[in-house]
Amino acid sequence: MPGLTNSPGAAIDVARKQGNTRPGMEKFGIGQAVRRREDERFLTGAGRYIDDQHFANLTHGAVVRSPHAHARIVSIDTGEAEAAPGVVAVITPDVYFAQGFGPIPAMTAIDGIVEGTLNHPPRHALADATVRYVGEPVVFVVAETKFKALAAAELVTVGYEELPAVVDLAHTLDADSPMIWPEAGSNLAFRFEKGDAAGVEAAFEGAAHRVTLDLVNNRIAPMAIEPRGVVGEYDAESGTLTLNVSGQAVHAQRNQMAAAVFKVEPDSMRVVAGDVGGGFGAKNFVYPENILVMLAAKLTGRPVKWISERSEAFLSEVHARDHVTRAELAVDAEGRFLALSVDTIANMGSCLSTMGPVVPTAASWVSMGGTYVVPNIHMSVRAAYTNTMPVDAYRGAGRPEAAYIMERLVDAAAFDLGIDPVEIRRRNFVRDYPYSMPLGLTIDCGDFSGTFEAAAEAIGLDGFDGRRAASEARGRARGIGLSSYLEVTLGMPSEAMELRFESDDTVTILAGTHSTGQGHETAYAQIVHETLGVPFDRIGFRQGDTAAIAVGGGHGGSRSLKIGGSTLLRSAQSVREKGRAAAVHILDAAADDIEFADGLFAVRGTNRRIGLFELERAVREAGDLPETVAPTLTTVGRFERERHSFPNGCHIAEVDVDPETGDVDLLAYVIADDFGRIVNPLIAAGQARGGAVQGIGQALLEGVVYEPGSGQLFTGSLMDYALPRADTVPDLPVGFNEAAPTDTNPLGVKGAGEAGATGAPAAIVNAVLDALKPHGVRHLDMPLTPEKVWRALLQG
Amino acid sequence: MQYEAPQTLDAAVALLADARGAARVLAGGTDLLVQLRSGAIEPDLVVDIKRIDELKKITAEDGGYRIGAAVSGAELGEHEGVRALWPGVVEATELIGSTQVQGRATMAGNLCNASPAADSVPAMVAADATARIVGPDGVRDTSVRDVATGPGQTSLGRGEIVVSIFLPARPARSGDAYLRFIPRTEMDIAVVGAAVSVSLDDEGTCVAARVSLGAVAARVLLVDEGARVLIGTKLDDDALQALAAAASAACSPINDKRGTIEFRTDVAGVLARRAAQTAFERAKG
Repeated sequence: MPGLTNSPGAAIDVARKQGNTRPGMEKFGIGQAVRRREDERFLTGAGRYIDDQHFANLTHGAVVRSPHAHARIVSIDTGEAEAAPGVVAVITPDVYFAQGFGPIPAMTAIDGIVEGTLNHPPRHALADATVRYVGEPVVFVVAETKFKALAAAELVTVGYEELPAVVDLAHTLDADSPMIWPEAGSNLAFRFEKGDAAGVEAAFEGAAHRVTLDLVNNRIAPMAIEPRGVVGEYDAESGTLTLNVSGQAVHAQRNQMAAAVFKVEPDSMRVVAGDVGGGFGAKNFVYPENILVMLAAKLTGRPVKWISERSEAFLSEVHARDHVTRAELAVDAEGRFLALSVDTIANMGSCLSTMGPVVPTAASWVSMGGTYVVPNIHMSVRAAYTNTMPVDAYRGAGRPEAAYIMERLVDAAAFDLGIDPVEIRRRNFVRDYPYSMPLGLTIDCGDFSGTFEAAAEAIGLDGFDGRRAASEARGRARGIGLSSYLEVTLGMPSEAMELRFESDDTVTILAGTHSTGQGHETAYAQIVHETLGVPFDRIGFRQGDTAAIAVGGGHGGSRSLKIGGSTLLRSAQSVREKGRAAAVHILDAAADDIEFADGLFAVRGTNRRIGLFELERAVREAGDLPETVAPTLTTVGRFERERHSFPNGCHIAEVDVDPETGDVDLLAYVIADDFGRIVNPLIAAGQARGGAVQGIGQALLEGVVYEPGSGQLFTGSLMDYALPRADTVPDLPVGFNEAAPTDTNPLGVKGAGEAGATGAPAAIVNAVLDALKPHGVRHLDMPLTPEKVWRALLQG
Repeated sequence: MQYEAPQTLDAAVALLADARGAARVLAGGTDLLVQLRSGAIEPDLVVDIKRIDELKKITAEDGGYRIGAAVSGAELGEHEGVRALWPGVVEATELIGSTQVQGRATMAGNLCNASPAADSVPAMVAADATARIVGPDGVRDTSVRDVATGPGQTSLGRGEIVVSIFLPARPARSGDAYLRFIPRTEMDIAVVGAAVSVSLDDEGTCVAARVSLGAVAARVLLVDEGARVLIGTKLDDDALQALAAAASAACSPINDKRGTIEFRTDVAGVLARRAAQTAFERAKG
C-alpha cells in the first residue's frame, strides 16, 4: 500500500523471500511475517477443544429454557423426567436456591454512573420464580447421554402465567411499558453522564450549524465457530470444583464464581480452558451453565458436560451492541467541529451480564470524538432492561459504537452542509500530538491524516468519479464510504507472564492472557526469540489453567499483545539480566566483559561462552551461588498499564447498489491501520481483516430480531441470522502506518484485535448512503438489507 | 424407522404401497435428512431410490432429455447436452444449496419437497417439463406444475414415486434463464425466483414464451399474461415493462422474515424482466 510499511501483500512477499516456507531458513524475530505455528494443529484437526476432551464416567446436561419472554413460573413437574431412562439428576430452582449461592456478579463500579440511579437486581443460574427472556434457564437435567438428557428435558413440565413483555429498546423506558423488575418502578438499569453538559450547550448555541442524527447500533450475536461448552468436575476428597470451559478469562471466571456465587476460596476452584475456537469477548463471562455443571458434578459425583447447540447459542450466549442514539454535532461556518452531544439508550437485556454495564459507558467514552478535534463532548447513557438475552462485550465493546456515531455524524454533517466527506475530515483531523480529548484521555501519538490519505490513495479516491459513471452506465448506483476510526486498548491493566526453563532445554511461556485463536503462541514466541535468541522450536506455550498459572487477565479489549506482550518482554529482559549475572559467576569474568548475542553469553575477546540452557543447568546444579546469582533463570515478569494506547486507522469501502432490488455489492475495501509497532504483519493483518468482516456483517447482514409483543426470537438460527461468508467480501488489503510509535508500553504496540470491527460498520453504511445520496437518502440503520435499501429508494 | 434401499422400481413401489404409517422417498436427502434430524417428520419407512439404476440416468429422448429422479445437481450440471438445450433449468438446479449439497440434491426431490421457493421448479415450469410417476396403478405422466399442490403438499398418491423429469425438445433459436433473489450470495432460500423460456423466429421476434415465478404464492406460478406480452415482440422496453407489470400482478406472496408482500411483488417484476433479457440473448445464440 503506498506510503505504508508492512502491507500484507508485501509481508507475504517478505516471508517468501526469506524462505519461511523452507525449514531452517526462517526468521522469527519481532516484525517477521512468521506463519502461525498453532495453525497446523487447528487445520489438521489436532486442536483440543472442549468437546474433544475425554472425561471418565461423564454425564451430560441439558437446559430446560423458558419459552416465554416474560412469565411467572406457576409450577414445575419433574416427575416424568426423573423417571426417564438414564437420568442422573434434575436440578430445579428449589434445589438450586437451597445451595445458598450468591447471584452472578456484574461490574457496576463505573465512574460516571449517576448516584442513586443504579438498579442491579440479582441474576441467578436458574430463574427465580419469574422468567424474563426467551431462553432463560429454568431446570437443568443430567443424564447418561446427551440425547437422554435432551429427551428427559422435554418431559419437564413447567406451568407459566404469561406477563406482558417489552423488547423494543426505544420504548422500554416509557411510563406505560411492562415492568421487568417492578420493584424498581421503571426499566432503567442506571444513568451515566460524562463531560461538560453546560459547555457543550454553550457551544451549540454559538455554532453556525447543528447536525442531528438519530441512529441505531443493531443488536448482533457473537457466533464463534466453536459454540460455548463446559464440563464441571468435583473432587470430593479435596473439595475442589473444576470448570473446563471454552473460555477466554479463566482467572476472572474463577474469582467471580468462587467469591460471589459459590462463596468458596479461590484455591478450591480451578478453571481450565484448552483450545478455544473464537470468543470475541462473549466467552469471558460467567454463564448459568458454567455454574450448573459444577453444581451438578458436586451433587452427582460425576463430571457433567454441556455443549451449546448452534441454535441454542442464540438463546443462551450474550448478544451485543443494541444502542439507540441521538447524536448532535455543533459545526462552525468553516465546517470545523465545536461540540458533540451523545444521548444513548443502551440495552442491557433482562439483567446485567458480567461486563454489560461497562460497554456503553467506560468502554465507550474513551474514544468518543474519534480522530477529530472536538473541543467539547457530553455523553449521556440510559441503560435499560428489556425482555431479551443479556447484552455484553463483543469485539470492540463500546468503541465500535463510539466510532459509528462519530463517522456517521461526520457524513451527516457533510450531507447537511454540502461539504465533501473527504474535505470535512481533512479540516478536522487531530494533527498535533499529544492531544487531550475533552472527556479526559490524552492521545499520545498518531498520524490520523497520514493514515487516512494512505487509505484514500490505496483505493484510488481520485478515480472514483470515473468508476461511479461506469456503474451508472450499468444501471447501478456507486458509493464510496470513509471511516477514520479511533480505538483504545482496554481490558485488565496488569499481567504476569512466566518464562519457565524446563529440564529438556526448552523454555515455556506461561501466559495469563488468553488466545482464542489470535496467534499468541506465535507472536509471543517471536518476542522471546528476539530478546533471548532461543531457537523458535524450543519455546513452548501454555495458557488457560488457574492451577498452573497463578494470575492472569485473560483476553479482552485488545490487551494481549500490549499488556501480555510487554510483560513477556520484561520477563525476557529479566532473564537476560539474570543470565548475565550468572555468566559472570560461571565464566568467571568481569560484568563489563560479558556480551550477549544469539542466546549465548561470551567473554569479550575470548572463546569462553555459555548458552542460556547450559547456564540454567549450571546454576541449578551449582551448590553455592553468590547472592547476585539466582538459582534459576525462570522468571515471572510483571507490567501494569499506566497510560492508554490508541490504535487507529481508516477503512474505505466502495459499493454498487442495485436500485431495483436494493442489493448491495461490496466491490472494494481497503484498510490502513496504525497499530504501533507490528510484531507479526501476517497476524496483525489477519486480525484487521477478521474484525472488518465482522463489522461488514453487522453493517449488511446481521441483526438479532425479537418479535414485538411476544418477545420471541425471530433470528434463532444461521438460516435467519445471516453471517457474512467468504464471497460477501472482496480482497481486504491492509497497510500499516508505523510512523507514530507509542511509548505507552515497552513493546511499542497499540493493540490490533478489535480495530477491524470498529472501523468497518461506518465505512459500509457511509458507502451505501453515498450511493443513495442522489436519491436524497440521508440515513439508514444497519443492517442494510436489500429490502431496507429498496424501501429507502422507493420513498426517496 | 425402517430403511430400505431396493434395487428395482417395482420393489420400491411395492414397499411404499404396502407401508403401514408414514413413508418417505429418499433421493438426495438434502431436505429429508434435515427434516428427520430436526424432528419435523417421523416416518415409519424411508425408501432410498439411489440404488435403482434406471433412476440414475440422463437419457436423450425425442430431442429432449429424461432426467432420472436420482440424478444429482452436480451430474446434471456436467451434462453438456442438457446444458445446451435448457441452460436455465441447469442453472436453477445448480443454485440449490452448496457444492456439497449439489453432490446429492436432485431436481425430482426439489419438486416433491413442494416448497413454493424451490429453485429448480420455476425453471422446469417455464420449460413445460413433465414428471413421470410410477405407482401401484402403473405409469403416468403429468405436468410438473401439477405435482405440488401447496407448501409441502403433493398430488402423489399412495405408493407413487416421481421417477424422472422430462425436458422436451425445442426449436432452434430458443433460450431460457432463471434468476432468484436472496439477501446473501448463496445457500439461501429464494425471496423471489423467476424463470423465462422463449423461442424466436428468424427475425428475432418472440413466437413462444413461458414465464414462471417462485416464492410469490403458495405454489410456483405460470404467468400466462407474462408470456402473452412477450410474444410478437423483440423484447423492446415496452415489452419488458409489460412483462414486469404482468409478473408483479400475478404475485400473491406473504409477509415473512425473508421479505414483505410489497418487496416480493416488485422484485418479481424486476427478475422476470432480467431473466427474459438473458433468455432472449441465449435464444439469439
